[in-house]
Amino acid sequence: MLSMKNISKVFKTDLVETHALRDFNLEVNEGEFVAVTGPSGSGKTTFLNIAGLLEGFTHGDYFLDGVNISNLSDNKSAVIRNEKIGFIFQGFNLISDLNLAENVEVPLRYRGFSAKERKVRVERALEQVGLAARMKHLPTQLSGGQQQRVAIARALAGEPRFLLADEPTGNLDSLMARQVMELLEDINKAGTTIIMVTHDAELARRAQRNIQIVDGQVCDFTMYQSGQTDNKTQSIADAVSVA
Amino acid sequence: MFFYYLDLAWRSIKKTPFLSLLMVLAISIGIGITITTLNVYKMASINPAGERSSQLFAVQLMSQDNNFWETINEQITYQDAYNLSKSKVPVRQAAMFRTGLAVQTEDVNVSPILESVRVTEGDFFALFDVPFAYGGRWDKLVDEEGGYKVVINEELNQEVFGGGDSVGKTLLLNRKPYQVVGVIEKWNPSPKYYDVNNGAFNDSARVYVPFSLAPIEEYESWGNNQSWRHEDIRTYQDRLNSEMHWLQYWVELDTPAKKQEYQQWLAAYVEQQKLIGRFKRADAHGEISDVAQWLNFNNVVPEDNKVLVGLSVLFLVVCLVNMLGLLLAKFLKRAPEVGVRRAIGASRLQIFSQHIVEVGLIGFCGGALGLLWAWAALYFLSSKFELEASLAQLDQSMWVIAPVIAVSAAIIAGIYPAWRICSTNPSVYLKSQ
Amino acid sequence: MLQIKPILSMLTRSKSGPLLLLVQIILSVAIVANASFIIKERVGLISRDSGIAESEVFDLTIYNFDDAIDPNKQNLIDVEIIRNLDGVKAATSSSMTPLSGGGWSSNFTYGSSEEDRKEAPNAALYYGDEQMIPTLGVKLIEGRNFHPDEVSSGGPELASLAIVSADFAKDTFADETAVGQIMYRGNIGEQPIKIIGVVERLQSAWVNNSNINRSVILNTELGRSFTRYLVRADESAIADLKEAIPAALHEEHPNRVVRGFTTIKEHRNSSYRDHELMATVLSMMVVLLLLITSLGLAGMVMFNIERRTKQIGTRRALGAKKRDIVSFFLVENYLICLTGGGLGALIAVQLGQQLMTLYSLPKLELIYPIVTVAGLLVLTTIAVILPAQKAAKISPATATRSV
Repeated sequence: MLSMKNISKVFKTDLVETHALRDFNLEVNEGEFVAVTGPSGSGKTTFLNIAGLLEGFTHGDYFLDGVNISNLSDNKSAVIRNEKIGFIFQGFNLISDLNLAENVEVPLRYRGFSAKERKVRVERALEQVGLAARMKHLPTQLSGGQQQRVAIARALAGEPRFLLADEPTGNLDSLMARQVMELLEDINKAGTTIIMVTHDAELARRAQRNIQIVDGQVCDFTMYQSGQTDNKTQSIADAVSVA
Repeated sequence: MFFYYLDLAWRSIKKTPFLSLLMVLAISIGIGITITTLNVYKMASINPAGERSSQLFAVQLMSQDNNFWETINEQITYQDAYNLSKSKVPVRQAAMFRTGLAVQTEDVNVSPILESVRVTEGDFFALFDVPFAYGGRWDKLVDEEGGYKVVINEELNQEVFGGGDSVGKTLLLNRKPYQVVGVIEKWNPSPKYYDVNNGAFNDSARVYVPFSLAPIEEYESWGNNQSWRHEDIRTYQDRLNSEMHWLQYWVELDTPAKKQEYQQWLAAYVEQQKLIGRFKRADAHGEISDVAQWLNFNNVVPEDNKVLVGLSVLFLVVCLVNMLGLLLAKFLKRAPEVGVRRAIGASRLQIFSQHIVEVGLIGFCGGALGLLWAWAALYFLSSKFELEASLAQLDQSMWVIAPVIAVSAAIIAGIYPAWRICSTNPSVYLKSQ
Repeated sequence: MLQIKPILSMLTRSKSGPLLLLVQIILSVAIVANASFIIKERVGLISRDSGIAESEVFDLTIYNFDDAIDPNKQNLIDVEIIRNLDGVKAATSSSMTPLSGGGWSSNFTYGSSEEDRKEAPNAALYYGDEQMIPTLGVKLIEGRNFHPDEVSSGGPELASLAIVSADFAKDTFADETAVGQIMYRGNIGEQPIKIIGVVERLQSAWVNNSNINRSVILNTELGRSFTRYLVRADESAIADLKEAIPAALHEEHPNRVVRGFTTIKEHRNSSYRDHELMATVLSMMVVLLLLITSLGLAGMVMFNIERRTKQIGTRRALGAKKRDIVSFFLVENYLICLTGGGLGALIAVQLGQQLMTLYSLPKLELIYPIVTVAGLLVLTTIAVILPAQKAAKISPATATRSV
């Protein structure tokens, strides 16, 4: 359902050109749970931003559900983000002035649902993450794990085709991290495609498929694990295990 | 969506009360000052003739000799008034001036009151759309042959006759009996365009008497009497024969054709006066000005007002620049939140709209508060400086103008900050540090 | 030590914020300089000396509307009635009330023949009798007053002697002595009027006219049915005279209207009302503008501090003293203020030029923008120091905290 072909992204300043992604190729199928790992500065975040239509790219093609969405207008990419993609961030990024229900409601507002429809969906989403009872609370009144669950509820409320998670457990202790991870797995089982960027090798292993980004290029661990090694990936794998 | 934005705006304002108050205060003071000066300006520059403005014309003549002033006279001489009245072109016309007379009734116990009186012709009332409560103008015959007829206003009617239909009753003016032929309703055009000499914002006269009585009763002129040369004026007849400018003259010309015809007639009149040697200067000529031109010619709006309006608009600009800076700071601080909103599907336009609604709300509050300031300022100024009531009251249109200016000014100030915030790349703010 | 260079580079990098402050200061200086100049000019106008004992002199009008009354005779009787009342120091009939906005003015001619004809500048005409000078309280500095037997009663054509204000004498005869000069009303030879005295100062009725200081007192009591009188009395006696004068006049003859009783001081207030109004509104504007500019600046500084909290913490950790932090913000402010002030002064002068050509206002003196900028520097120092001191309290530990 997600397909990136020869995508490259170049940041230009007055002095240097930085290639954040180079000939980046990736296919993600419907219902997959993909973990993306890689060292700092490897291009993980750039990949996520491009996948989430938060940033444009310099070359290449990006297909989502078979539709080429390269160089969409701001308005159209906003609609796609709103309808097809759910975001989960390391820092939760809940809006601190809004209570839980209002936070979850935000994407539904932009989608133009009626008040009634919004209410039903908000309740369902919070139910799913087990926080329906605390709907009127403000984010600051919750623990980190609870906040992240609200963020997940917000991502789910619009019933997206796939979730983009950026270090979803990065700010959580291990117990909470496990809860969140289990929640994500449940969601994946229910049919939602998930792409998760993480540092945590253990978490990454729980995903069906692991992707490594190094110097702006992909290297698929599933392939490595299935024995199709070559020198290049081997050396990268070594580098990662050392890191 | 608008109400959602409004709700968000209100939350945002509540969240930074000091800053929001500062912005509301800044814009309200700017609006307050602007509305105050604009109100005084507007009230001074109202064209009270309304629809008839373009049909009523003041007549002026450049009739002085060379070597005197080089501007056209505001008023005309009695001789010219007499001659102009012979023209058949205008639909209506009237010469007029202001005098003062002692008003008494036949009741000897009532002490006399000195009243400002308008000496004019019967056409005056229809010319300026003066509404009658009882009776009407005096006969045309009175204008030709003279006659002791008087028109009073309702207020004076109340004072001297106790109100009611007083047509037929007798009023003593300087101890002479005049028969009341009409009582007019409250009528107070402001500015008093038909005679701006004696305070353009003063009340209109309460007593009106026939112009044809002037040579008989020798009414003194209570207005500007301008002589361009020294004349030995000892008797009233001397005054009537003199070149002194002391009368106002108005004509009604209801169509452009009539107007043109009258201009030609006036030009011919001036030529004729030149021929008999009365008008000596080469560029002697007549001019007619409609009400708007007339008010403009007479500088009814003082220059100070214009300076004040100009400075207060600049003041408003300062308030807006101030607000722009604060908004920019405030909005940029909110960038992470906006990043989230963008990520979960808000388009640039939606973010822009959200912020513009917030700015508009601040502007609206500022406008409402500014209206209050303006009202207070006008109240303070009018009580301290005894401003004419017509200048000091807050014009109804300001209830619309103030919020409109406030909201649109605020939005103008908000465009840049809102654009900045909606165009920043959301991904920058999503990574938590 | 003053760190001008790093501040400058920071200012140029975060363009919009400082630019806005700059614009605000430019406009503020332009407005405040012009407004305070106009205020000063108006206050100057208002405080001009009229030469008259303003709070002791009041005017009144008597309207003898009864045809049976001979105004010439009646006026002589009336002025005597007024003079004989308790508390009245002096009284005269007068063709006009000083500073009232309405009266007589004329141009005299002078010279030996029609060929040599010269025009005296337009002057206000006070027709009255020998008590005009004591009534107004003006000071005779040359020549003499009218003798009672020199005063005529009737039309203006009877005037033959004049006492002029020093300004009129100077504007007309320059360095020649005015006393003894002959002027004419109309052509040379028509109605000669001889100047017999000069008063130090006497203003006319029109406060906005260039002829305000040129006045001529003429030796004629105008015999009219509608006559104006000027009366001088102790301030404390004026209230009683408001009752006593109409009573005495009505007792003598009931068929007349007596009105007025406005002191010259009150006339002055209403004549200068527009100027005072202008000065008041402009003062309000100046005060509010400075207030808004300072508050806006304080708000901006507060925001900058919040934004730079970490940076300030880092600076503190690297050894900056509290004083250095405050001076950092102050120097930033002064840079903006001085640049804005300089440009603002230029625009102020331009604006002043425009106002001068469009609205007959005098030319802006350069001291006004300069003083405004200086004032702004002081004001903004306060507006910056208060929040900056808060910034200086930021703990150096802030730098090491990451979230």
